Amino acid sequence: MDPQLTEVSQQLERFKAAFVRKDYSTCSDLLSRLKVLLTKFTSLPPLFENTPNAAQELTLARDIYEHAVVLSVKTEDQDAFERDFFQLKPYYVDARNRLPPSPQENLILGLNLLRLLVQNRIAEFHTELELLSSATLDNPCIKHAVELEQSFMEGAYNRVLSARQTAPDATYVYFMDLLAKTIRDEIAGCSEKAYDYVSISDAKQMLLFSSDQELLTYVNEEHPEWEVKEGFVVFQKAKETAPCKEIPSLQLINQTLSYARELERIV
Amino acid sequence: MAAAMVSSAGGLLAMLNEPQPSLKHHALSHLNNLVDRFWPEISTSVPIIESLYEDEEFDLHQRQLAALLVSKVFYYLGELNDSLSYALGAGPSFDVSEDTDYVHTLLAKAIDEYTCLRNKAIELKEMVDIDARLEAIVERMLEKCITDGKYQQAMGIAIECQRLDKLEDAITASDNVQGTLSYCINVSHSFVNHREYRHEVLTLLVKVYQELPSPDYLSICQCLMFLDEPKGVASILEKLLRSESKDDALLALQIAFDLVENEHQAFLLSVRDRLPAPKTRPVEVVQAATTAPTENPSGDVQMTDGTPAPTIVHETDPVDATYAERLTKIKGILSGETSIQLTLQFLYSHNKSDLLILKTIKQSVEMRNSVCHSATIYANAIMHAGTTVDTFLRENLDWLSRATNWAKFSATAGLGVIHRGHLQQGRSLMAPYLPQGGAGGGGSPYSEGGALYALGLIHANHGEGIKEFLRDSLRSTNVEVIQHGACLGLGLSAIGTADEEIYDDVKSVLYTDSAVAGEAAGISMGLLLVGTATEKASEMLAYAHETQHEKIIRGLALGIALTVYGREEGADTLIEQMTRDQDPIIRYGGMYALALAYSGTANNKAIRQLLHFAVSDVSDDVRRTAVLALGFVLYSDPEQTPRIVSLLSESYNPHVRYGAALAVGISCAGTGLSEAISLLEPLTSDVVDFVRQGALIAMAMVMVQISEASDSRVGTFRRQLEKIILDKHEDTMSKMGAILASGILDAGGRNVTIRLLSKTKHDKVTAVIGLAVFSQFWYWYPLIYFISLAFSPTAFIGLNYDLKVPKFEFMSHAKPSLFEYPKPTTVATSNTAAKLPTAVLSTSVKAKARAKKEAEQKANAEKTSGAEKSVSESGSGKEKGSTEKEGDAMQVDGTATVEKKAAEPEPAFEILVNPARVVPAQEKYIKLLEGSRYVPVKLAPSGFVLLKDLREHEPEVLSLTDAPTSTASPATGAAAATQGTTAMAVDDEPQPPQAFEYAT
Repeated sequence: MDPQLTEVSQQLERFKAAFVRKDYSTCSDLLSRLKVLLTKFTSLPPLFENTPNAAQELTLARDIYEHAVVLSVKTEDQDAFERDFFQLKPYYVDARNRLPPSPQENLILGLNLLRLLVQNRIAEFHTELELLSSATLDNPCIKHAVELEQSFMEGAYNRVLSARQTAPDATYVYFMDLLAKTIRDEIAGCSEKAYDYVSISDAKQMLLFSSDQELLTYVNEEHPEWEVKEGFVVFQKAKETAPCKEIPSLQLINQTLSYARELERIV
Repeated sequence: MAAAMVSSAGGLLAMLNEPQPSLKHHALSHLNNLVDRFWPEISTSVPIIESLYEDEEFDLHQRQLAALLVSKVFYYLGELNDSLSYALGAGPSFDVSEDTDYVHTLLAKAIDEYTCLRNKAIELKEMVDIDARLEAIVERMLEKCITDGKYQQAMGIAIECQRLDKLEDAITASDNVQGTLSYCINVSHSFVNHREYRHEVLTLLVKVYQELPSPDYLSICQCLMFLDEPKGVASILEKLLRSESKDDALLALQIAFDLVENEHQAFLLSVRDRLPAPKTRPVEVVQAATTAPTENPSGDVQMTDGTPAPTIVHETDPVDATYAERLTKIKGILSGETSIQLTLQFLYSHNKSDLLILKTIKQSVEMRNSVCHSATIYANAIMHAGTTVDTFLRENLDWLSRATNWAKFSATAGLGVIHRGHLQQGRSLMAPYLPQGGAGGGGSPYSEGGALYALGLIHANHGEGIKEFLRDSLRSTNVEVIQHGACLGLGLSAIGTADEEIYDDVKSVLYTDSAVAGEAAGISMGLLLVGTATEKASEMLAYAHETQHEKIIRGLALGIALTVYGREEGADTLIEQMTRDQDPIIRYGGMYALALAYSGTANNKAIRQLLHFAVSDVSDDVRRTAVLALGFVLYSDPEQTPRIVSLLSESYNPHVRYGAALAVGISCAGTGLSEAISLLEPLTSDVVDFVRQGALIAMAMVMVQISEASDSRVGTFRRQLEKIILDKHEDTMSKMGAILASGILDAGGRNVTIRLLSKTKHDKVTAVIGLAVFSQFWYWYPLIYFISLAFSPTAFIGLNYDLKVPKFEFMSHAKPSLFEYPKPTTVATSNTAAKLPTAVLSTSVKAKARAKKEAEQKANAEKTSGAEKSVSESGSGKEKGSTEKEGDAMQVDGTATVEKKAAEPEPAFEILVNPARVVPAQEKYIKLLEGSRYVPVKLAPSGFVLLKDLREHEPEVLSLTDAPTSTASPATGAAAATQGTTAMAVDDEPQPPQAFEYAT
């Protein structure tokens, strides 16, 4: 067996061990070393050379990146998640006919969908969705994300929040928490538009807070422009609606006519 | 496993954000390969890559890679400027030799940019900061071109970037230095717009030329002429003349002829004067020997007289004797006399003008219509320009006598056109009309003035002998008509000499403030100072502002324009001053200044300016001239003109249409260009009479010497002219145009064309200014004669070492009918056509065939040489049927069989005999016969060509006799009119015309 390959798989084993130990900092170190090692394999994307160990190398690389994605969820690092996911993606898409499908695939795809939902990148969410086959859509991980999105769009926020309990995998919990916050922001945005003011208790209920204290911290942190007085939350509405600008029609007509005259004078 | 490809660059882009540099590098290098497919994806991440490039901590190689990647993305996005600046940042990673669109485009961009910067730097005369990296790329490119053997590209870039050092490298590195040099000369003439820079390039070329082991003296001298360095030319000529080899001497003579062709009088004279006198002249043996060695610059074959006892000298050293003999020859050539004389003989002997056309015109023109009457006289003069045939005038003295006043002036001046180049006898020819010394003689001032003008036309550009006489005539008169004629005559004879004394004389005429004389004085001053760009122009401009007479202003305006001839950028201030003037006539002069300063350069700036004036000036005259001027700017590139003026030719303004017609006429003159004819055709039936006039004249200029066989529209046009002339209801203006057009169409006995460029692509000064003044005929009809300056004979004239014309045959490998003379017109009832000479070319072929059969039968080479010569020649009592025919006999054997087979329909070639008419379009078909006795020194299909004699000891047969009979028969009234034709046919030399008198 190729010494490089051996080295990588050994490192991967150590990484997995650390991962189980939840020693995430060791994991990160090992991971970055692994990634550098991977650049030496020519059978990996984007080159896809047909080396004798290609299948093994590809599988190994995919495994590493899958772990990297999961690790980024554990460390709650969304940028790393995105980075790792994009590097993983060619293994799913372009190397599909070279490798047996990964058991983790749907889980990771679902995670990614969820991430997009959390970051409110709905357009990209749908793009990703379109790329999936109908069979994959029935997978619980994917289905979960799709349903969430539907509820989210409908405005059935309570259903979204209750879905936290039905998450297909433990890793989803992190995103579900984030999602709750996204939803809260949405609600806050809507209320701002809909009401001039609401009572604190109503606001607490609407924004799904369990105590007044939580509500007040939220207001202070996220919406300092809101005022809390006399038991009400007062939204500072952007009142000014820009009036339609008047078209300087006379001036335009004059100008056009003078152009026409000038044109006629030429030649 | 099927070859898989990535479907997205997303993974790699994500990798760029990884913290480890090695991952980033990995991603960059892969992206660099994938950028061609995934640039849309990568373009969103450009800021990240840019930041990588700017990251100082990053490894240099990686930063360059990043820059290259960004550059490629920008290239795909169409942002070439950004792309280039990043490519420069990429340094060596940007591979010049890569064969991709990206590299090609960026290289082009880089070179453009560099050129632009260099030019700016040179224009502003200061150092513009040029990116060293940019320079490095261009230099890398140049080196690559040179190593790849693409010398032409390398030279092109080097010239464009004004990198003379690289240009020299490219030339010397090339395997065919002669070829590259001539290519380079061509390029510098057609693409280098800056005059000064072109001079630099040519200086360099001369330098390279001279370093060659076997320099091409012909080209060097052409360059030196352009650089205006008579000294260099003189020393080359001297070296060649002093050489022992006859071939070198022949080459020197050939160079001299080539120089003469460019008509740069001042230059030629100064070359001539610089040629050192022979060391020991037979006459003054003693003194010459002591002084000569110092003025002998070249270490030539001669032994130097370094011995301190010079009193006893080798008497008439034979080497010196040959040098002296050669020197006389070359001086004769440089003064232009030799070529003028030969041209004259050629035009006379080959004259094929059709008198019947003139007769028809004369009969159809109404007697009392003076415009058409004088137009007919003009047409006659043009038709016979340089042929010395004035039969028509002498046959129609009564009719001629109807010309009065200024018409008489032009009628007399017309003689000058007919006798153009008749240097020796010009004066005696015109004697009867010239002002007599003393009490003003008794002749009409109009004919006297006309005669002075005629003398100018005869001696145009070669006025050495006549200047004094004209000056005296000018000073001794105060009649403005005579002054007018004398001024024009002086201007013509001293073109471009900038002679101070003549200038002062003419100026004093100008200051008399007489309208008629002043106009001529203005033009004359311009002619004197052609191309000198002196500050005298501002003096003239000041006077133009002062005077009240429009005529004077116009004359001066044109004169000022003439002074800046060919100065290009050097004339910009003056042009600016003139075109911004309040007075439309001065602006009109400004247009001419633009036309002449940039003549033949196709300079974009000049074209833009002229187009601007053509559509925006308030004065019709200025607009007309602006369009017309385009013709001058574009004549080096005639294909362009019809395209540029095509819109203007449809203008609502008739003046603009007129200008468009003449612009096409001027720039496409003699080309028979199909587009030009198509553009002019509708204009010849325009609704406005003067537009028709202009279009007819322009059409004639375009169609000069184009035969009906090569373009059928020529025939149509001839019939159209005839119809207009015969039509009683036609406007006078267009009738005049038609008459002039018939004259131009058959100009110079059908043996000349209008040519503004010499064969070496130099401007012919005289021709250009001739046409410029000609276009003034709108205001002043006598100026029509200036068109004769633009005529150049279309002939192949081969000369031997003695500058005689030997009998020499060569082949035109095309159907004879393509280039033959037009058929003489016939009148059904009369047989006047019989007296007209038959066309030489077709008969010569038949006669030759006949002669060859005879030759075969007799198995004897003897045959009559007279049979193949034109009618006029055969009359001469020359060595007819000489016995020396061995050379010919050989050719007969070779070609006779071929001739027989091809004889039936139309032969595919014809044999021409030196000197022969070779029209411009025919030049590419000219081939030399193998085994010929003579070999030309330079391969040229037309013009003067020196022939090397391979069989020197055999006697030569000459075609044209040399020494002209100089018996000027005294003027004796009108009686001799009928005798004229017969005398002409018999006599070998053109006879001076019999004088005739006007019945006033």
